[in-house]
Amino acid sequence: MSNGKSMMVDTSRCTACRGCQVACKQWNGLPGTKTKQTGTYQNPPDFSHETWKLVRFAEGKAENGKPYWYFFSDMCRHCLQPSCMEAMKKNEIVQDTQTGAVIYTPQTKDLVFKDVVDGCPYNIPRQDPKSKAIKKCTLCLDRLKANMIPACALSCPTGSVQFGERDEILKVVEARVAELKKTYPKAKALNADQVRVIYIVTDDAEKYHKYAES
Amino acid sequence: MRKCSRREFLAAAGAFAGGLALSSLGIPLGAVQAFAQELSKADRIKAAKTTISTCYHCSVSCGLLCSTDTKTGKIINIEGDPEHPVNEGALCAKGAAMFQMSANNEHRLTKVLYRAPYATKWEEKTWDWAIERIARKIKTARDADFIFKNAKGQMVNRLETIGHMGSSKLDNEECWLITAMARALGLVHIDHQARV
Amino acid sequence: MTNHWIDIKNSDCVLIMGSNAAENHPISFKWVLRAKEKGAKVISVDPRFTRTSSRADYYAPLRSGTDIAFLGGMIHYILTQEKFFKDYVYNYTNAAYLVNERFGFEDGLFSGYNPETKKYDKAAWAFQKDAQGLVRKDPTFQDPRCVLQLLKKHYSRYTLEKVSSITGTPVEDLKAVYEMYAATGRPDKAGTIMYALGWTQHTVGVQNIRTMSMIQLLLGNIGIAGGGVNALRGEPNVQGSTDQAILYHILPGYLAAPRASAQGLKGYLEAITPKTKEPQSANWPQNLPKYVVSLLKCWFGENATAANDFGYNYLPKLDDGQSCSIMETFDAMYEGKLKGFLSVGQNPACSLPNAGKVRAALSKLDWLVHANIFDNETASFWHGPGVDPKKVKTEVFLLPAAASMEKAGSMTNSGRWVHWKYVASAPPGDAISAGDIFYRIMAKVKALYAKEGGNAAEPIKALKWDYADSKGAFDTLAVAKAMNGYFLEDVTIAGKAYKKGDNVPGFALLSDEGKTSSGNWLHCGMFTTDGKNLSARRGKSDPTGLGLYPEWAWCWPVNRRIIYNRASVDPAGQPYNPARPLLRWAGDKWVGDVPDGPWPPLADKDKGRLPFIMKPDGVSFLYGPGLNEGPFPEHYEPLESPLAKNPMSGQRINPAVKIFKGEVDKFASADAKFPLVCSTYTCTEHWCTGGSTRWMSWLNEAMPQVYVEMSQELAALKGIKNGDKVRVASVRGQLEAVAMVTHRLRPFKVQGQDVHQVGMTFNYGWRYPADCGDSANLLTPTVGDANTMTPEYKAFMVNVSKA
Repeated sequence: MSNGKSMMVDTSRCTACRGCQVACKQWNGLPGTKTKQTGTYQNPPDFSHETWKLVRFAEGKAENGKPYWYFFSDMCRHCLQPSCMEAMKKNEIVQDTQTGAVIYTPQTKDLVFKDVVDGCPYNIPRQDPKSKAIKKCTLCLDRLKANMIPACALSCPTGSVQFGERDEILKVVEARVAELKKTYPKAKALNADQVRVIYIVTDDAEKYHKYAES
Repeated sequence: MRKCSRREFLAAAGAFAGGLALSSLGIPLGAVQAFAQELSKADRIKAAKTTISTCYHCSVSCGLLCSTDTKTGKIINIEGDPEHPVNEGALCAKGAAMFQMSANNEHRLTKVLYRAPYATKWEEKTWDWAIERIARKIKTARDADFIFKNAKGQMVNRLETIGHMGSSKLDNEECWLITAMARALGLVHIDHQARV
Repeated sequence: MTNHWIDIKNSDCVLIMGSNAAENHPISFKWVLRAKEKGAKVISVDPRFTRTSSRADYYAPLRSGTDIAFLGGMIHYILTQEKFFKDYVYNYTNAAYLVNERFGFEDGLFSGYNPETKKYDKAAWAFQKDAQGLVRKDPTFQDPRCVLQLLKKHYSRYTLEKVSSITGTPVEDLKAVYEMYAATGRPDKAGTIMYALGWTQHTVGVQNIRTMSMIQLLLGNIGIAGGGVNALRGEPNVQGSTDQAILYHILPGYLAAPRASAQGLKGYLEAITPKTKEPQSANWPQNLPKYVVSLLKCWFGENATAANDFGYNYLPKLDDGQSCSIMETFDAMYEGKLKGFLSVGQNPACSLPNAGKVRAALSKLDWLVHANIFDNETASFWHGPGVDPKKVKTEVFLLPAAASMEKAGSMTNSGRWVHWKYVASAPPGDAISAGDIFYRIMAKVKALYAKEGGNAAEPIKALKWDYADSKGAFDTLAVAKAMNGYFLEDVTIAGKAYKKGDNVPGFALLSDEGKTSSGNWLHCGMFTTDGKNLSARRGKSDPTGLGLYPEWAWCWPVNRRIIYNRASVDPAGQPYNPARPLLRWAGDKWVGDVPDGPWPPLADKDKGRLPFIMKPDGVSFLYGPGLNEGPFPEHYEPLESPLAKNPMSGQRINPAVKIFKGEVDKFASADAKFPLVCSTYTCTEHWCTGGSTRWMSWLNEAMPQVYVEMSQELAALKGIKNGDKVRVASVRGQLEAVAMVTHRLRPFKVQGQDVHQVGMTFNYGWRYPADCGDSANLLTPTVGDANTMTPEYKAFMVNVSKA
């Protein structure tokens, strides 16, 4: 019995080229939204019903006095036991049995959005103001069914985003964290036993993004 | 551009195609079945013509796979070529956005535009009209201004009142054609992005 | 690039300086990080901490425009710490060459300088020669006139403290970078440099690169896997457009453009063909006459005969010293000296320095032809900000072009790999390819001359222009084959027979007698004799394991993936680094990459040849007497700098630089009104002026509006908060931008004073989207490198204030 799929997002390899952010829009036919420059590279500023993959930028000064700049290619974690599903009335949110992808159907329009988003420790779901349907990453389930890997994983130049069988990815994550610990004692995988999309960080998770870790 | 609203059903259709997942969860199949009848994007791409191309931004030359709908002739997807040894399927933000450089972009120029002296607007013209007029302008300037000899009396055979610029965004064969043309005309003001 | 993208993975130390590779060549980081994961050190040297710096092992800041000081210090370190690769330096460079007694250097000037003409008499820098005409050498490297000793003396002035006081780089950072990089000066280590416009766009641009090339020679890093001097070129086919010479100063294949003083083909060939008496030098450029005659045959076909110098006189000749670079062209345009301008796929109204001048210059044209896939600020200059169309006389033709995926053809990447691509869809509406546009225009010009005659009609009539397919459209493949070249008569070469019309399978077979036609000798070999297009190959074999992929696409020259590869072996032909053998002499042949020529190794005193085959004497130049500002790179301040005096010498700026003196060419150096150093650059999400990417919503969404990056310290001084709207001004112009206040820029300590630097992308323009802001090039100065006239976009002075 397969344990489904998983994705590693290794922030130590991310260059914030935002290939993943655009590849997601390209594949899913999502529009470029109107944004403003507010003094950061991060744009759009946050997820929306039209932005399911977003590279977050965080900077500061390290202990050695030099700058740091962390990139967090944020997306739905596709939890093994999604707490967002607790907001369901019927079966508005489904979990694909083969891959484990968590899918919001159009029927999510019938849910109380606040219940759904409050149920998500990673602050992922967003509501379409028109249709009221709730939107987020699908793990490119349509691609998976056609034996294609998710658009963001394909686009990633550096191997920061890698996709595969969960059992394999867990091994890759474990080996990578062990390697990174030699240089970065704080290196760790975030919530690896709870999520399918596993982030690796080399510093305190909250320095990357408020909702990086649950 | 495709409508996003369509997208919201594709995921469900994909889940349906996954087999028992939905029915075992008791999903109302009727609602998604209609959409499952339609080809999902992944299926449409499998049915499309695939063309190898090269990214049009920096000088890495990442390999692209363009999927063209055989019925409409329109490009429906562009992604990285996993076989290409340099990019191995990867693309940056610009490369991943190549779809918006295709004819799908409503801002693409589609007509010959002409702006007359002191005019405040563009006018649409035909190719024949524009080519004829441009060729005539070139000849008029060249006939008037061609320099056979310089101040020292040396043969120089050049024309300094017309310049040419561009482009590193053209294919090799186009660049070469322009180089040949410019030299035959006698141009010396020839340059492009390579210098800047 | 001497090497190529994948080869970066073979490096032990990747220095990224003058480049922001992670942002501007993002896929290169696939290979940078693969090297890093194998243990390579990655170093980022940049005024600003970038996405590249974020992934580097070591980041060192430096003030814009001080790279020669930084690198000069590294040369000093390598020489004094004896870190250089002695075998390589002794065998393959001109370290032992003796320089004549006239050469000297004093207070920032080399000997032979004429302050009135701002030119050097380069004869003052020549080598000593013996009675036979051979350069005199000192095999002990002790003669004070030998290159190695002169080099040591010149760079002895570049001490850590001196360099730090110029660059603003802390001494400990200098030491760390020097040590890490100099560690590659061993036979089993490879260091590579990834540079880009951060080095070229200075008044000392060429010398920036030369300094690093010298370091690469000292460390034995040229010609080897994981090494090289790697220019990360900017645009999708800028390598190819340069190879094809859409440039005033060269013809296709880097043949020097004819000058008036070289009269007749014979005079021209004598002027451009180097000679040597060195017995072991291949001096490959001695073959240039074959390439010139084959090019003329290609351009003028049967109208090129031995009797008419193969049509040499049809070509335009520049006066000696005449320069027609784009800044000079626009200067002439501003003066009203041009009537017409043909342009395609470029946006000078936003991309050239002093854009206000450029935009005004366009309005002085009688006519402007512009071909592109989107409208831009150049085509639409006549209704730009502050322009009254009713006062602009210029006729403008805006021609709709096909995008890359709508036309077949080849593009050459930065590693010289030529890729063929195919038509994925038809262009929209009436759009046609740029090739088709220019093919039709020139066909019509030819028809007009044929019908009416006219001034100097001969070259136009003689031009071979038969590149149409059966439907009358531009035939890309026909041009690609013409560029490769073909035999014009049946010939037998080295026992092999070729038929008239066969493609020439390599430039070694080209003829200076009119027996071959080839539009660009560098492309010769892209087609096999029987017409197979090697650039379309997709073979994935990798016999060396180094990622050369010899059957993937095709690269010039003759599919050689790493040039100067004979420098990777010792004189006996065995790899200096047996763990990464690029080439090896197997007793009777070379194994590995396509070697830089067939000759046996150097140890064969009769047939062996030196590795730097494009250099007349076969060795590479640590001392380079060819450039305009001197044989050794020297630190000069940018034209506009915060310093009134150059800390290195009494010569403030590059002494050979050309200064424009027009009414709109103003400069302000060490001026309290413009106290901030500014650089322009680009970001991952836009391409150059944004001429295409600003029309793409996914990219605009990610980087929507013009911004100016500045340090927390500067922002505090100016009372500016992150996200504030600010005004950035130089003596030439100003624009509004959003302040991005960041930890990633810090003030520099220069000569004991705080120097602040800011930076902007030049990705924006007024045309679209409406609220994105205008071009940073409204600020930049019209001044260029003393050899290439590449503008100094990377260091000029501005001020910033709250808007």
